[in-house]
Amino acid sequence: MSTQGTTTKVLSTVGVPIAIVLVVLVVVFQILSPVFLEPSSVRDYITNAIPILLITVGVAIVITAGGIDLSVGTVAGLSAGISLWALSAGASTVVGILAGLATGVLFGLINGLLITKLAINDFIVTLATLNIAAGLLVVLTESVSLQGISVPGFSSLVYGRILGIPTSFWIAVIIFAAMQFVLVRTMLGRRIFAVGVAPEAARNAGVDVPGIRLSTFVISGLLAGAAGVLLASRLGTVQAFLGVGYEFTAIAGAVLGGVSLAGGRGSVWAAVVGGLLLATVQQGLRLNGVDPVYFSIVTGLCIIAGVVFDRGVQRIVFNRMLGRPSGGPPRDVQKTDDVMAGASAGSRADS
Amino acid sequence: MIEESTDLAVEPLLDARGVIKRYQGVTALDGASLQVAPAEIHALLGGNGAGKSTLINVLSGITTPDAGTITLAGRRVDIRRPSDAHAAGITTIHQELSLVPALTTLDNVFLGRETSARFLGLKLKLDRRRMAEHVAELAEEFGITQEDLALPVGEFGALKKRVVEIVKALAFDPRLLILDEPTSGLEDEEKQHLFGHMRRLRDRGVSLIWVTHHLEELFGLADTATVFRDGRTVDTLPVADTTVDRLVDLMFGGAAEEFSGTTNPHVHEASSDGTEILRLENVNRANVLRDISLEVKAGEIVGISGLAGAGRTELARVIMGLDKLSSGQISVRGNRTRISDASHAYKKGLAMVPEDRKQLGILADLSVAENISISNLSSVSRFGFVINRKEEAERGDTFRRRLSIRTPDVKMRIGNLSGGNQQKAVVARCLNTEPALVIFDEPTQGIDVSAKVEVHNLIREFVASGGAAIVIASEVGELVELSHRVLVMRQGRIVGRVDGVSHALAQGQGEQLKQRILSLSARSEQS
Repeated sequence: MSTQGTTTKVLSTVGVPIAIVLVVLVVVFQILSPVFLEPSSVRDYITNAIPILLITVGVAIVITAGGIDLSVGTVAGLSAGISLWALSAGASTVVGILAGLATGVLFGLINGLLITKLAINDFIVTLATLNIAAGLLVVLTESVSLQGISVPGFSSLVYGRILGIPTSFWIAVIIFAAMQFVLVRTMLGRRIFAVGVAPEAARNAGVDVPGIRLSTFVISGLLAGAAGVLLASRLGTVQAFLGVGYEFTAIAGAVLGGVSLAGGRGSVWAAVVGGLLLATVQQGLRLNGVDPVYFSIVTGLCIIAGVVFDRGVQRIVFNRMLGRPSGGPPRDVQKTDDVMAGASAGSRADS
Repeated sequence: MIEESTDLAVEPLLDARGVIKRYQGVTALDGASLQVAPAEIHALLGGNGAGKSTLINVLSGITTPDAGTITLAGRRVDIRRPSDAHAAGITTIHQELSLVPALTTLDNVFLGRETSARFLGLKLKLDRRRMAEHVAELAEEFGITQEDLALPVGEFGALKKRVVEIVKALAFDPRLLILDEPTSGLEDEEKQHLFGHMRRLRDRGVSLIWVTHHLEELFGLADTATVFRDGRTVDTLPVADTTVDRLVDLMFGGAAEEFSGTTNPHVHEASSDGTEILRLENVNRANVLRDISLEVKAGEIVGISGLAGAGRTELARVIMGLDKLSSGQISVRGNRTRISDASHAYKKGLAMVPEDRKQLGILADLSVAENISISNLSSVSRFGFVINRKEEAERGDTFRRRLSIRTPDVKMRIGNLSGGNQQKAVVARCLNTEPALVIFDEPTQGIDVSAKVEVHNLIREFVASGGAAIVIASEVGELVELSHRVLVMRQGRIVGRVDGVSHALAQGQGEQLKQRILSLSARSEQS
């Protein structure tokens, strides 16, 4: 394969264009504000970003199968609340963690069952469970005090260090690696892609489409639960409305990374890069003394700019594969039978 | 440019000439022409894929032709979008109803063309009173009362919906009305009412293009018929001077020549001692399958013939567990089974090459190897869940060589392969499940002649090695060449069973056989 072919292939891999943007941004922010890459600064912003990154990965998996999960943010908040509640009632760290994870899984299961068994639209179901989880957390925080709970073992999930790096970082890396493995190396992952690419064709090929969709919601719930546990560990306090709005940051991060909302195109690490990009922009603005009231606006602009950039790169790459001058529409790619000899199925980032 | 043609006795209202339309290498219209006289009912006939629908789409502005001219009442028209067709006076009533069920009849009739009450030049609200006045008389004529106008269309039956479509079409004085299979979903009595409406339209001076598969309906109603085949106009003739047999002949006559030479029917008899693989007993599915019984033995190819809407694909879907049956029994290898979904069917040894390869067959964004392994991932996995991608690629490569799938690499995205190679990969997917029976639904649709031969040979090899096959195909010539037996379906029933196909072929009776199958599928029981 020629050099051009290799470049083309790498660039067409999901997440690569946005990873380039991330590196450029880090360099720019470092020039603007030399404290940007100081260990304590990096440690803080990554530790803060991890819960949302976990949610982003969960949502990315659901989206890859062609679905959507809006409930992840408030489910993470509720999981944090349940986790702290268990601890405040005297449960051990392990039970506290399991309580948080179980909450997430339960919500994932409810979402998945309502969507597949009752055939209700996933947008509607998860919009409803978003509200239910948020409401349950309000009820919980009204009933019991979840303030300043400090169980040493539990707090060490975030504040502990392994090789000088926060434990939560290692936890997240293991979870991301495991999820990427599931997505690209297992039968489940392959079927998730198949369902996302063409659900009817997958069904004709004998894929248990409802079962696969259900699993993606359970995975997403599990990751929201894990995010909740880490949130609870870091904050030690849970207030009503924790997690509200996280779902949009997560969806934005996944899409920014190159996960297609149409399904069938996604990767765990691309979602992580997309989520990191959003977190990095915020950190960069913060360190440069930009008033936080503008963060939301800048985040919005970043999402649009990032997606436009990603699509622009894809277009150039496709045109190059077709031997056409760049600038033409990429939509004919699907119909072209005899070209693209150098392009392999590039819908996934291989790990 | 206005060109007056004076050499015709009656100047045609519509004159479409030399219309060409290609889709990704498939020629849907190959210089077709159609002349429709003023105030006539003009039947447009042809087998599946003859190009009728494409021509209608061209006339109604849904697709733009690659070449050809359309003249309406002596004036060249350029139809690029549906609104152009409307402006020219062409209205189409498509087979799928385009009414909004929740809206009232009145609102449906005026959808997108509403009259608004104005205040200071602003459109404020719909002026329903003016709209109702506008259509009251017309609606009355077609039996739509004032009360009906205010009712949501969703409450009406199939016929009344059809009539609302007609009123909707007529409210804006079309010169040419196109009806695509208008009788589908109608009961006999309702059809007669609809035919009455069509005559009334003709009496009002409207020309009708009527697309239908039901030839016996034409007589006594249509004035002229035009027959399409393979995207070309075969003939235009007065209905009064023709017969069903003549029309069937025109519709399918060329199929025989086209097929000879494309495949090599090394005539082989089904091994008579083949064990029974599949048995259906009195299978019903509400409104689509009626009382289907059949059995398929190892070593035989059973062809299923029928026109569009006869229930062939529906039958395949029920066997594969994709649709539920409402009553009846399915047995696989002698054991009564309830097949709950397709994954279950594959485990039972059934497999399917679906119709509409691009939408329902391939997983376009996955690689060739991934498309082959998807129905039996365990075959390339370790510990029951981890895919061994090396083994997957090797297996894909084995199938690539065995089935001559032309791709530089099985890791290539399948969507980039040609149709024929995609289809061979889908066949490989089925073979990878080591099936006892494979259903091939339109296996050669949209693939070129040489790939067609290869797919045919794959099917023959599969049954020669002890497999059983069900082949659904619209081209009767193809079915006759491939099958040992042919079942003919019409309106959800099996209406004919033709045995000893290869025997008849050997005796040179292929042509008679085809005619028999075609007349069985096209004619109603009475005739």
